[in-house]
Amino acid sequence: MKKLTVITAFVFTSAAFAAYAHGGATGIVKERMDAMSAMGKAVKAITPMMRGEIEFNAASVRSVAKTIGNHAGADLTELFPEGSGGAPSETRDAVWTNWNEFTELAEQLEVYADGLARAANNGMMAGTQSGMSSGAMMGGSSMMGGGTMMGGGMMQGAMTADDIAGMPVDGAFAMVSQVCSACHTKFRAESK
Amino acid sequence: MKRIILFGSGVALLGIVGLGTLVIWPIGLKPDPIELTGDVDRGAYLARASGCIACHTDFEDRGAPLAGGVKLDTPFGALYSANLTTDPEHGIGDWTIEEFAKAVRQGISPEGEPYYPAFTYPFYANFTDQDIADLWAAFQTVPAVSQPAPSHQMAFPFDQRWGLKLWRAAFLEPPRTGPIEGNDPVWNRGRELVEGATHCAACHTGRNILGARNSDDEHFAGNPSLPGGNKAPAIDHETLQSRDWTVDALAYALKTGITPSGDAFGGSMGEVVLQGTQFLTVADRQAIATYLMDDHSGG
Repeated sequence: MKKLTVITAFVFTSAAFAAYAHGGATGIVKERMDAMSAMGKAVKAITPMMRGEIEFNAASVRSVAKTIGNHAGADLTELFPEGSGGAPSETRDAVWTNWNEFTELAEQLEVYADGLARAANNGMMAGTQSGMSSGAMMGGSSMMGGGTMMGGGMMQGAMTADDIAGMPVDGAFAMVSQVCSACHTKFRAESK
Repeated sequence: MKRIILFGSGVALLGIVGLGTLVIWPIGLKPDPIELTGDVDRGAYLARASGCIACHTDFEDRGAPLAGGVKLDTPFGALYSANLTTDPEHGIGDWTIEEFAKAVRQGISPEGEPYYPAFTYPFYANFTDQDIADLWAAFQTVPAVSQPAPSHQMAFPFDQRWGLKLWRAAFLEPPRTGPIEGNDPVWNRGRELVEGATHCAACHTGRNILGARNSDDEHFAGNPSLPGGNKAPAIDHETLQSRDWTVDALAYALKTGITPSGDAFGGSMGEVVLQGTQFLTVADRQAIATYLMDDHSGG
């Protein structure tokens, strides 16, 4: 019985701490949230440009690519030490049970951001708002479109920085954004 | 509510007419022979749009394309998506195109068993014979995987398939995909996709305690409890506008996952974009966004 009381007290105390911490993340969790926000801001800044709504500016793209690159790879993964999950963090435990894939995506982000910076001079794809449309991806007259779409899960079709650098800048940006989304899909809990 | 009462009455009726009748009650219509030639590319495109590839491929465990096995935790138990490869034993390799048509449009297996509505067949009911022929042609290109999908683990009484016959009688509705006269073709194309193939309402409309969508009063009002603990936000046009979405922003998000705040989709919507909408044409994404950002209530 006493044991139960102790456990209960512990649970309540933990809950109180969790509730307190939820008001504002601290330490490493806050650091990574800030890093994510910095990338979000950068993405937001050039998204209208990538949609062709405001005038294209290569320097802005390079600056954004640099911001993303600085928060990618090891700079990103080192902000996720084991045991740093739980409220107020939105990190799913999958980060630690599937660390290799998490690391791969973080590295892919760094590589793609490098490619994006170099694609800045390529300008926008003429006529359309985004680079790779399905027509190109669906070729090969099979459900799999020659394997490009379906191979090996989310990491399929990983490209090199040179590949990305050769794309129209809006296509390169779409590739970067899809890495963000792929990682959030696997490793972020959806709170909203 | 009316429908739940109807369902309840159906259950009560059971006692009178007897279970046996229900078990052998034949459902569905036999499709007319389909002799059209299918277009593989068009079928693959429709399979993308409809989520066949997303739900029937276990990306998490790097499973083979369309070999199924994706687990869906419903309030009634766990379901696993089926193997849709050309394997004759564990896939759909020994089906006829008419059986395929009945499965996709009516949600009934070649054995005459009703599928669980976790399979979003209610949205595909208006697929044309040409759509079916195209899909069928595309599915013929899928390499066979000789491995069965895991068996469903549904709690009693939900493991009794005859119960689904009552469910169908009470809740099954045709999708509202038909064009609205006077609206422009882009809007109507958006409607065809949103209310049909891309089945947005499967997640973005709440469900009653029996898992049927509350289409009449909660269409696109969001769903706080998706299988697996996910949540789907409301996507009615007023909510979308209040959250800074525009037609262009939404169309762009369906390609890139980027939201108006600079965030990138995660969760189920991340999957939808990565495995589905990013492969659609620019025109189709624009059509979907046009329809969603406009008032289409009561349609």
